[in-house]
Amino acid sequence: MSNSADKVCQLLLREQFGVVAEKIGCCLLRKGPCPLSWLANEVGLKLDKVREILCFFIQHNLVMYEKNKRGFLEYRMAVKPTLWRCRFPKYIYCAKTLYGDAAELLVEEILHHGQVLMNDVVQRVTDRLNEALRESGQPEISARVVYDKFCSLARTHFIMRCTTISAETENSTIQAPDNDHSLYEVPSMDIDGDGRVKRKRSLDESDQPVKRQKTGDTTTKEDGIYWRVNLDRFHQHFRDQAIVAALASKIDKKASEVLRTMLRLSEVKSASYAPVTTPVSFTEIFQALPKEVGLTRSVTEQYLALLCEDSTEIVSKVGNSGGGMYSVNIYKGLISLCKAHVESVVQERFGSKSLRIFRVLLQRKHLEQKQIEDLAMVPAKEAKEILYRMFAQRFVSITEISKTPDHAPSRTFYLFTVNLQQVARMLIQKCYQAMANALIKREAETMEHRRLLDKQERVNAIIATLEQTGADEAQKEEVKQMITPAEKTKLNQVKETCNKLDQAELQLDDTIFILETFIFYTERETCVS
Amino acid sequence: MATAPKTEPDVEAVDLETRIIALCHANPDGVTDVIIQDDMPQFDVKQRVTAINRLLSTGRIDLLKSSSGKLVYKLKDPDAAGLVKGTDQQEKLVYQIIKDSGNKGIWIRDIRYKSNLLLTQVNKILKNLESKKLIKAVKSVAAAKKKVYMLYNLEPDRSVTGGAWYSDQDFESEFVEVLNQQCFKFLEQKALSAQETKIDPIAQRNASFASSEDMWKFISELGISKIQLSVEDIETILDTLIYDGKVEQSIVAKAGGIGDSGQVKLYRYVSPLIPPTGLMRMPCGSCPVSDKCYEGGAISPTTCVYMKQWLDL
Ligand code: SF4
Repeated sequence: MSNSADKVCQLLLREQFGVVAEKIGCCLLRKGPCPLSWLANEVGLKLDKVREILCFFIQHNLVMYEKNKRGFLEYRMAVKPTLWRCRFPKYIYCAKTLYGDAAELLVEEILHHGQVLMNDVVQRVTDRLNEALRESGQPEISARVVYDKFCSLARTHFIMRCTTISAETENSTIQAPDNDHSLYEVPSMDIDGDGRVKRKRSLDESDQPVKRQKTGDTTTKEDGIYWRVNLDRFHQHFRDQAIVAALASKIDKKASEVLRTMLRLSEVKSASYAPVTTPVSFTEIFQALPKEVGLTRSVTEQYLALLCEDSTEIVSKVGNSGGGMYSVNIYKGLISLCKAHVESVVQERFGSKSLRIFRVLLQRKHLEQKQIEDLAMVPAKEAKEILYRMFAQRFVSITEISKTPDHAPSRTFYLFTVNLQQVARMLIQKCYQAMANALIKREAETMEHRRLLDKQERVNAIIATLEQTGADEAQKEEVKQMITPAEKTKLNQVKETCNKLDQAELQLDDTIFILETFIFYTERETCVS
Repeated sequence: MATAPKTEPDVEAVDLETRIIALCHANPDGVTDVIIQDDMPQFDVKQRVTAINRLLSTGRIDLLKSSSGKLVYKLKDPDAAGLVKGTDQQEKLVYQIIKDSGNKGIWIRDIRYKSNLLLTQVNKILKNLESKKLIKAVKSVAAAKKKVYMLYNLEPDRSVTGGAWYSDQDFESEFVEVLNQQCFKFLEQKALSAQETKIDPIAQRNASFASSEDMWKFISELGISKIQLSVEDIETILDTLIYDGKVEQSIVAKAGGIGDSGQVKLYRYVSPLIPPTGLMRMPCGSCPVSDKCYEGGAISPTTCVYMKQWLDL
């Protein structure tokens, strides 16, 4: 992991969990895996305090532990999951669009608690929903509805059980393979007549199985099973969304719906991270197309043909049975997307002539300067400048091929080329740096207006209590007056600034996500071949 | 044969010319009008005069005054020897070197290198040859100050003049960009109107295609180019649009199938895959000093002016 990413980790920890957590997190990041006592010593805090924070981190899946060779438990910061905390809004929003409000709240609750018991979270979400419903004067819902959503999320692997790790057993980590179905098996739940989850009396009773799983030979206790969000699954979904969105932009909305349907169909059939999905037949695709899209058979055929002919080569026809078998090449989609993002950076940073030169290099691999000038039709002087600038900022690289062993410049060919992976890595760095900058700026903004923000909070609190005690309007108005108009405009401005920075962080994360997924796939590909 | 009477005089004229040349060959010291007349009495004066005039104007023979004061015709030597007669060996050598370089021309340094002459000598000879209109200097586009020499009557190679995109030796960058934009607008417009037709997707895509010939016609009719561009020239421009990522090309077999390559290059506008990427939507993405920017540094996010501007603070 890079410095910039570590920096972002540190800032996120500070922002979300405070300075003590930041200190411990930083130490773990800097030193790598280390045992508890050593860690406590290093940060100069009481053992108990460190232990408490570590527990908290583990609860939030931010720290992993492992027994080292000498039998000590060592703790390690999980950098990626920490960074992914800034993706929370995306996970939550995604759950909402897929499964509605209840799923949104479920994912939100699970994310903010790290690991939870099913009964707890279902109850909490039911309560929250009912509260909102009551306020808007609508009938309340039963916990059953929420439980169903919970099951849907588990069935589609968006949430999963935590693998139980006990420090006492010989090998302290039990890594269950992620396609193991038991990871997503939902126990049944007792729901009483009022639509409430039946509470268990106390924790000491939890060793008696309350419910047994009917299917499967393993007896599953509801108690003690903690659930967490399966972030990888969300990432796969984001990846698919990104490819769908790209083709929606390039071809049109309907074409992208066809692709979306294909991805949905093959989702369950293909191994996660397979570069190419399992083929699906035309008949299947056509039948699974949502009716709202309103495509006739022949138009669907045409769209498939268009998708296959597209230069991105994301969709291809692989057979003729069932009206034609089609598969989606996820990896090619990611390459196209990665190129698009890198090109976008080149365009904005260096201008359109540079982009042309950059794309000439992407397509033609190794070229001499003269060839570049001719292909891109850019005057020699300008081309030289552009190439130098992009070289200095590591967007293009040079290969030297010397005719003689002395590497005399006059007898050497200088070939320019673009190494996409290298550029992607470099840009990820830049993104993390920009992300850190945004976080720092936001922190500074809120610090600067701390007093004002505190005041607003106090005022809001007073108003809330006044409302509860049923005070009249005049009183409330008076309290509201405590914030002067000037202060109000300032507060609005601060809010706007923070929103803008928030948004920038999310957009940065989009870029990071595509680039990192591309690199992830490329590495897998090179491993395989 | 109906055409015979028409072609006869031509055949005769050509015959006369070849015979005059043969005569000159036989008499390297030159032939007088009398000799010709004696040799081929079947031609009349008029025919003779036309033939000789043609030979003179095409530069195959020379009219010279012999030592005896008579006018004689002599064969114009197609080789250097005849041309540079009266000049010395060195001049011949230099001429030969330049001749060998063909229409690509040769650089003065290379002439020196090949002829083993001093720069001053070479300069003098070149000036001489130039004033006799035997050679000419052409500015090359490859390097701004580089002049190359070639025979006077040669048309310089594309690599020297740079083709349609150069005037003198300057690359007409603006001209290329104007054409690039015009072509783009044309294709974009075509794609837009195809979209509005609301026909089925494949027909819609096909309607957005334009062939390089269509583009060529469009550009020629626009009249923005002072010089005549070829279809290939337009294809070079269209290629730049492909590199810009705004246009894609497909090659299809020509309807009818026969004739040149049997292929048509079709071009169409394509929409981008993504909107500007997240990194570029905040100032740090295009920041020139981001490498020197860190918390507490001289340049830092908290004091950064780009940030301030962007956030409207
Ligand atoms: S904060 Fe300002 S100075 Fe720093 S990288 Fe961003 S734009 Fe550049």
